[in-house]
Amino acid sequence: MLGRRAGHFCRRLLGFALVALLSGTAAAADLKIASVAPDGSHWIAEMRAGADEVKMRTAGRVTMKFYPGGVMGNDAQVLRKIRVGQLQGGAFSSGGLVERYAGMNVYGIPLLFRSQEEVDAVRAKIDPVMAAGLDKAGFVSFGFTEGGFANPLSNEPVHSVDEMRRKKVWVPEGDQISFLAMETMGLSPVALPVTDVLTGLQTGLIEITFASPVTALVLQWHTKVKYITALPVSYSMGVFAIEKSAFSALLPDDQKIVREVMARHLGQLDRESREDNRKAMEVLAKAGLQTVNVNATDVEGWRRTIEGLYPKLRQRSDIDVPLLDQLLAVLADYRRAHPDQAR
Amino acid sequence: MAAAALSGCVVRLIGVKASETLSAAILNQSDPELVGSGMPAYLLILDGLISQHPENPGLLSAGAQLFALYGSRFATAEHAVTLTDKARRYGQKSLCLVHEPACRWGTADYDGLVADLKNVDIKSIGPLYSYAVGWLSNLQATSSDWTAVAELPWVQAVLERTLELDESYQHGAVHGYLGILDSLRPPALGGQPDVAKQHFERAIELSQGRDLSIKVEYARRYARLVFDQELHDRLLNEVLSASVESPGYTLFNVLAKQEAAILLATSKEYF
Repeated sequence: MLGRRAGHFCRRLLGFALVALLSGTAAAADLKIASVAPDGSHWIAEMRAGADEVKMRTAGRVTMKFYPGGVMGNDAQVLRKIRVGQLQGGAFSSGGLVERYAGMNVYGIPLLFRSQEEVDAVRAKIDPVMAAGLDKAGFVSFGFTEGGFANPLSNEPVHSVDEMRRKKVWVPEGDQISFLAMETMGLSPVALPVTDVLTGLQTGLIEITFASPVTALVLQWHTKVKYITALPVSYSMGVFAIEKSAFSALLPDDQKIVREVMARHLGQLDRESREDNRKAMEVLAKAGLQTVNVNATDVEGWRRTIEGLYPKLRQRSDIDVPLLDQLLAVLADYRRAHPDQAR
Repeated sequence: MAAAALSGCVVRLIGVKASETLSAAILNQSDPELVGSGMPAYLLILDGLISQHPENPGLLSAGAQLFALYGSRFATAEHAVTLTDKARRYGQKSLCLVHEPACRWGTADYDGLVADLKNVDIKSIGPLYSYAVGWLSNLQATSSDWTAVAELPWVQAVLERTLELDESYQHGAVHGYLGILDSLRPPALGGQPDVAKQHFERAIELSQGRDLSIKVEYARRYARLVFDQELHDRLLNEVLSASVESPGYTLFNVLAKQEAAILLATSKEYF
């Protein structure tokens, strides 16, 4: 009875991750693209629509085959498969491409942004720089898609860093920047794979986690927490990238078509993501989650604890320091121009 | 007074029997078009019976399942929202009549729901199942809404309790629903394809392979999720070569065959 529309449960699953690619050495190419997004999800549907358009406009010279649902493995495994030519591209979390380009880490630095407006101001200037960096690292990208801000989720209200210090705080396994940030803040992070967080919350192994509203719903963490703190801790985004040599093998006109079409569809996903998170936040409230508002003093406390992070970040090989400086300059300009928002 | 009360019982019994007969007539049809065009009349009759006997859990359960069926398989996307909302309300009221705390179940307290589900006993399995099916059909119809994603764990908990009470209820249909829910998400997003596989296999076993829609969902959800083309094509070919005639399944089997043909035709493209 569930029928064909049952698959549409999946339509909305996913605000982050993912993408595509190509192979072949001739002008005609079948680009094999991996994604963690499930078949039937909005992301895959949008990418398939783009692929259909590309196929039509290139008279069938360029086709794309998608491997959804993480069937090709995690980001690292997809990169390995791209390296050996089994895949030509994929949809990645921004952190998933750091081993190829350290610039991908900068947007996710904890407490970097204070508002969506700051994100927009920065992305308008820095996205193109980042795309150029990726290109230099051997990946052609067509635009990034917002994953949104992760907020603290907990079973007891969390207003301040002090309150968090008494709790077991989750950090994604392998996310060294977040781990460093938490240590700098005097927290004791517990590193777990994202798939173990639900059980961790259930058993008490962790007491505080972080997620965007969409992620919290998709991973069903909303069944195990009662509070969401209104503090944008870190920003995430997804990257759709195709291995450069495969892309370069396409006819120049076909390359233009792929760029134009996929950028348009990714732009659509990027715009919709913010609205999705807004709606998901409303749904979280309906599902019983209470919002914990953080006052100005507490916000200042959060910021002070993170100040010691930047000198440490600058010494790391997985941070593109010139890009970080460029980003911080854009942020400073924006805050000077918008002093009313710079709280 | 006693006579009036007895009369009421008889009417209720007749109502339930009538709804069962209607359900059987629909489920044994091999002509989906006929069902699609004729079923609204049945639904109106059922609505009438329910309005006359609003405290009858059996009628309400039948209403939940038939409105869910029509809403999810025959109605337009827009109309399905209204129809399945009624399915959900009928299912909830049916359960509420036999398990009073369910009248207050909401979607704001997951742990509370899970705890209270333990108090639902086997006598209430019919309303419990109808509650789940009505709710699930409504989530399908509203799947573009984040609320549907948010409520999935609640429905899953209801289905899991139904399974605990009697896994063979409705010839293993609950296993089929859980198979679908567990294969909606890939492992990286919290899905459990291995568990889904077990549910689908058990559903096939309990229905003795007579419910072809289970095999179609097994192929569409699980086999596609884990990229197992061999399993996918084998299941669908089994559906296409099977007989559709089977008491209680004929209608679903005809629909299953139609869907199997479409899925098989896109197999090469997908894999």
